[in-house]
Amino acid sequence: MSRQGLPEWLSTALPDHAAAPQNLAQAARQQVETIGLPGLRDEEWRWTNLRPIHRGNFKTAQGASEAQPSEALPLENAIRLRFVDGALQSIPDDLPDGLTLVSLADADKATRTAAFSPTPTPNTDDPNDALVTLNTAMAHEGVVIDVAANSVIERPIVIEWLDGATDGAMSHPRVLIRLGQSAQASVIEQIESVGDQPSWRNSVMVSKIAANAALTHIALGLTGQARLTTERCFASLERDARYHSYNIQLGGQVTRREYDIQIDGTGAHSDLIGLMMPRGKQLMDTHTRIVHAAADTTSNEHYRTIADESGRGVFKGRILVERDSQRIQAFQASNNLLLSDTAEIDAKPELEIYADDVQCSHGATIGRLDEEALFYLRTRGVAAAEARGLLIAGFAQEVIDEIPNEALRGWLTERVQARLAQRPDATTGA
Amino acid sequence: MTETQELEQLVKREYKYGFTTDIEQEIIPPGLDEDVVRMISAKKNEPEFMLDWRLSAFRHWQTMTEPEWAHVHYPKIDYQALSYYAAPKSQEELDADAPESLDDVDPKLLETYEKLGIPLHERAVLAGVKGANVAVDAVFDSVSVTTTFKDKLAEAGVIFCSFSEAVENHPELIKQYLGTVVPKGDNYFAALNSAVFSDGSFVYVPKGVKCPMELSTYFRINAKNTGQFERTLIIAEEGASVSYLEGCTAPQRDENQLHAAVVELVALDDAEIKYSTVQNWYPGDEEGKGGIFNFVTKRGDARGDRSKITWTQVEAGSAITWKYPSCILRGDDSVGEFYSVAVGNNYQQIDSGTKMIHLGKRTRSTIVSKGISAGQAENAYRGLVHIGKTASHARNFTQCDSLLIGDQCGAHTFPYVEAKNSTAQVEHEATTSKVSDDQMFYLRSRGLSEEDAMNMVVSGFCKDVFNELPMEFAVEAQALLAVSLEGSVG
Repeated sequence: MSRQGLPEWLSTALPDHAAAPQNLAQAARQQVETIGLPGLRDEEWRWTNLRPIHRGNFKTAQGASEAQPSEALPLENAIRLRFVDGALQSIPDDLPDGLTLVSLADADKATRTAAFSPTPTPNTDDPNDALVTLNTAMAHEGVVIDVAANSVIERPIVIEWLDGATDGAMSHPRVLIRLGQSAQASVIEQIESVGDQPSWRNSVMVSKIAANAALTHIALGLTGQARLTTERCFASLERDARYHSYNIQLGGQVTRREYDIQIDGTGAHSDLIGLMMPRGKQLMDTHTRIVHAAADTTSNEHYRTIADESGRGVFKGRILVERDSQRIQAFQASNNLLLSDTAEIDAKPELEIYADDVQCSHGATIGRLDEEALFYLRTRGVAAAEARGLLIAGFAQEVIDEIPNEALRGWLTERVQARLAQRPDATTGA
Repeated sequence: MTETQELEQLVKREYKYGFTTDIEQEIIPPGLDEDVVRMISAKKNEPEFMLDWRLSAFRHWQTMTEPEWAHVHYPKIDYQALSYYAAPKSQEELDADAPESLDDVDPKLLETYEKLGIPLHERAVLAGVKGANVAVDAVFDSVSVTTTFKDKLAEAGVIFCSFSEAVENHPELIKQYLGTVVPKGDNYFAALNSAVFSDGSFVYVPKGVKCPMELSTYFRINAKNTGQFERTLIIAEEGASVSYLEGCTAPQRDENQLHAAVVELVALDDAEIKYSTVQNWYPGDEEGKGGIFNFVTKRGDARGDRSKITWTQVEAGSAITWKYPSCILRGDDSVGEFYSVAVGNNYQQIDSGTKMIHLGKRTRSTIVSKGISAGQAENAYRGLVHIGKTASHARNFTQCDSLLIGDQCGAHTFPYVEAKNSTAQVEHEATTSKVSDDQMFYLRSRGLSEEDAMNMVVSGFCKDVFNELPMEFAVEAQALLAVSLEGSVG
């Protein structure tokens, strides 16, 4: 199968200089020019068609903008970093002790090298990883978040991704998060469209979590109909480190998020929790890979999708237990609700296990609302449409309830409920 | 006995079917081109439509590339170094005049099947030996040696014969059904098979007939450097039902041998086909040398309403297994089932599973897959459950469990689930674990030896699948499993 190479508009947009160290950027550029964008024939992309990107003719946007998010998240004292079409607007100055924020462009070479050397290491020859390679070749903006050892940053760090301020804008930002020993921080991504024309952001976030440190990472894909986002998050965990990820996707035309978790130290733990609610013609796709590379490590994964109208939800989760990684507990569940006959759900929960003393399981379900639960509610005098609404909301709520921030939980609950109230067939039953 | 000793014993288990039969054979020299395809077709006295079909498959195959997505690793196969046809000489002479009785069959062949425990003498059944009431079609390398109980089956209207005979005697059925479930260009190995397949079994059960006995095919690879490419076609007309068993062994050789078979099942309205396999091809030695590459395409088409197709497989042999017996649930209310036990030991690699394609309304499927890995084996379940837009109220339940014995093996699960209908209900669950110390301790405390305890745990683990096998095979499967895992306490 011959590969197509990059679309011309993208090939000509490849810059001579990028934030990555010259050798890395150069190699990435050559690689991606031969490999091109991933296609449906590449295993990791069989359910996600990047055609809207292929024919997008996106351009790197220039200059700052006055763009604002639709609503500020209900977080007190948040430290806000705003990216408009991938360009960092400014770095806040009143930072708590132990927290350092540096624009990627201003970071020293060692830091930039770290930002472009994620663990687990993507394979630059592999078409499935082509978007990371593209990001390495293109990235010139981004931020480095450093938390010193033993520092607990109480204030949430909010990264606002405001896409589409310029029509047809594309961006390839890169974020590096480093937590020193026993440090703690929470990073919240607020993802919004500020225009109604297509935009494409292909970002990479690299988290390195030192021993006994804990990172909470919340991603909120909110507004936007024409927004295309391809995002990849890497996290490596040392001894007893913890990584808690929450991924809530409501907006965007095509949203592809990938999590690559490398558990390198004993006693470390990773949580991957997510809710995707595609409707209209939205495609929401999450791919996760967890590598248990050390003994006595645990992971817990729970994803839910509610696909309505012609929406499409894709979930792929892989758990890999390496040889000699004994006494592993890894659980994964993917539960999906299909509310319409034009919606689609695709799931692929994978286990790849090379050690014998493990307890690993995964479960995947696809179904509709429980008829008995509906019947029960109706016998209690709840109207059919309302009963359906309650059950769907309850299904979503179980994910939202896991988010470790009360104000955010309440705010999201309202958003999800408002979204469900707009269901056109709420009274007809699907 | 210590665990290491036991593991050693495990990896030293011998393959008891590893003998070769010294029989004069007619072999087409190695190599593959259109002439070879023509030669095979000519040897079989095939009508022209078969030759055309083979040639078009061959031409298509030449444009294809070998698939690499499976979780298996093997040296590149040189398709020009293989011989694509091998037949016992005596059979050659008999071709013109098909054997009326077993007396015409070379006694060496009978001896071979005797050694394998396959009764080719119909009178053996009267004596009540193992395998009673089973009609057997024995395939030796490229050709069918004999088919038993033909007369009794014919009384019921059932056609059970070698594929070559079917092409000769029932060309209309072959024309109507061949390649309708697995098209000739379906995949690399199926295309290769379509071009060069030499023999196999053919079963036709007419409308309303319940096949009076179990049908069975016994495949044996004997010749060196040959590939075995057999093709099986089973058709159950409206309301018919049939249970079919398949067994396979091969001699112990240092080279890998290729086995690329195709099995097609067609079930019309209210028909039922149960297809059971006990696969015990030579798995290679303890260093992973030799063994059969078992690259097989099996697919059933539940074409009629309320039809049912059941695949049951016990996969114990082969160096590499690449096989996904599937069901296309086309008819409304049709049912697909897949029950599998796959055991890997030493350096065996297994990538197996099923596809359940739901197209009809209220179609149901059940998948129960039990993988056992020991030694350095890699055992992967790969499956697809697809609920199409038209498949309202479709239902699937999947359970994939893996058991690991020893810390050098691997167990993997790669299930694909696709749903396009809101009334679908799909459940998939998978677990991976080892035999727990608690289970072993409990059984030991009840006075069981470690080995018996292990056997009991493993049999329990596989019970759901063994229950689905016809009785004669269930016994064989149990025994095979016990031999495969002998001494693997840990």
